[in-house]
Amino acid sequence: MSSGKIKETLMRGVFFLTAITSIAAVVLICVFLLINGVPAIGEIGFFDFVGGQKWAPTNVPASYGIFPMIIGSIYVTGGAVIIGVPIGLLTAVFLARFCPPALYKIIKPATELLAGIPSIVYGFFGLMVIVPFVRDSFGGDGSSLLAASIVLGIMILPTIIGTAEAAIRAVPESYYEGSLALGATRERSVFRAVLPAAKSGVLAGVVLGIGRAIGETMAVILVAGNQVNIPTSLTQGVRTLTANIVMEMGYATGLHRSALIATGVVLFVFILIITLSMQAIKSRGEKNG
Amino acid sequence: MKKSSGILAITTAAFILTSAFAGCGGSSTSGSSASSDRQSGAFDTAKTISVITRESGSGTRDAFVELTGVLEKNGENESDNTYSGAVTVNSTEAVITNVKGNDAAVGYISLGSLNDSVKSVNVDGVEATADNVKSGDYKISRPFNIAYKELKGVAEDFVDFILSSDGQAVVTKEGYVSTSENPAFKSKMPNGKITVSGSSSVSPVMEKLVEAYKAINSGAEIELLTTDSSSGMAAAMEGTCDIGMASRELKDEEADALKSTVIAKDGIAVIVNNSNTVSDLTLEQIKSIFTGETTEWSGVIE
Repeated sequence: MSSGKIKETLMRGVFFLTAITSIAAVVLICVFLLINGVPAIGEIGFFDFVGGQKWAPTNVPASYGIFPMIIGSIYVTGGAVIIGVPIGLLTAVFLARFCPPALYKIIKPATELLAGIPSIVYGFFGLMVIVPFVRDSFGGDGSSLLAASIVLGIMILPTIIGTAEAAIRAVPESYYEGSLALGATRERSVFRAVLPAAKSGVLAGVVLGIGRAIGETMAVILVAGNQVNIPTSLTQGVRTLTANIVMEMGYATGLHRSALIATGVVLFVFILIITLSMQAIKSRGEKNG
Repeated sequence: MKKSSGILAITTAAFILTSAFAGCGGSSTSGSSASSDRQSGAFDTAKTISVITRESGSGTRDAFVELTGVLEKNGENESDNTYSGAVTVNSTEAVITNVKGNDAAVGYISLGSLNDSVKSVNVDGVEATADNVKSGDYKISRPFNIAYKELKGVAEDFVDFILSSDGQAVVTKEGYVSTSENPAFKSKMPNGKITVSGSSSVSPVMEKLVEAYKAINSGAEIELLTTDSSSGMAAAMEGTCDIGMASRELKDEEADALKSTVIAKDGIAVIVNNSNTVSDLTLEQIKSIFTGETTEWSGVIE
């Protein structure tokens, strides 16, 4: 074998190993979650765990119901989508079709900078600015579903803007020009011809944003109030699945600890559903495009 | 032309943003009256109390709910009745930040962490001070216990150190209340290895004590395991550790099997915002606030 060939085989092995690393990490995390979490779900009882309304790990006998946290995660994520998607989408349309180049040089890096800010900084900003704002404007404690939604809505902006802008730019210029030629205005052409064509890319951005929102922990824990109850108004506090894990992991022992890991299993299932729907959207987009 | 379309897009975005906020305002049920009340400088007793609590499992919360009666015991059963609408945070600093920033808030922290940014209220007329904790007049306090079967070698020397004036100085420096008046420490310099295990509330001060002791007797090796009070007592009874730590009184079966010594006391201060006019609460009132029975400050301020 020539030295070139040996090198090639060797490097192929190196590349294979690096490729395996990420897969191994995913597999290890799955195995860890299942081994540690599933027995706890079995011990608590699946329906008592997922459907239980009471989380009182220190009571005797203890209750481990994470239903309020599941609802909390869904509400907070929904709120973030309601606030973040319209702003993000319209920003993407503006950046892709209407923005003067001089302004683009400022707005684009600014949205990218938004993605680089650590989540604990978002949380602190939320605690110092948004929580008092919510308390003074809408009443309640301030630490609430609304505050968490606003903070998360801002946090998912860069994800949505980036993906949606790329999707809008990928639409062939002929769609836009054809629409203009038929007599439509510029706005109409963008919203009726270009945006529908970019639909799957935009949806992918939204789903990525949802994934970011549901997994966010440090920012949410500072502004959400973390009460274990199902909120009936926007000014009440919520506890998300991630917040539940991180708040109590430090002290938990025995079944309490296992229940927290099992909370991670439920979160993992959510992320799995989001990733799968992401794949589905992608493959559908490819088929249509 | 291009510029005007750009402006249109911005306006649309701004419109959606404002309507989103307006929508939130409309659907929020709990009163908008709070914002109008805020303008008057004096403390408004009609305000809804914002209860701040710690996460389940926290030693401070465990002690607080037990001492105030928020924890309801019924035979074997124990139920933590903390108000379900209480904001839950996971550090002492977060409690202080929340109380500092919200004039209707009430929380509780370890006395050692109390500072000027918040106000501590008197409990049953007794001020939360180290002296009142020491004398036992201040009700919301808990002992830091160590328990053991028998002491010999390093373990005996180490306990002597903890109870000496040198050890108690470490306790005071960490913000806790000293309990022993023993003279300065003279080590017998034994060699060996011991294990200390138990409460996560006691272990920060124990860590400092171990450090200080090792500086005197370098021949000793002390392993510190942080679990919880019950595990620590169980380990001491089984003999898997030499000294157990508990941030509460010993239960009967533990007291039967072990000898215990109080090495420090920790008071828990009930804190409110500096602008709050309340200065005195009874234990009953504190219980009623933290279980959610009293929801407005007017319920506890005349």
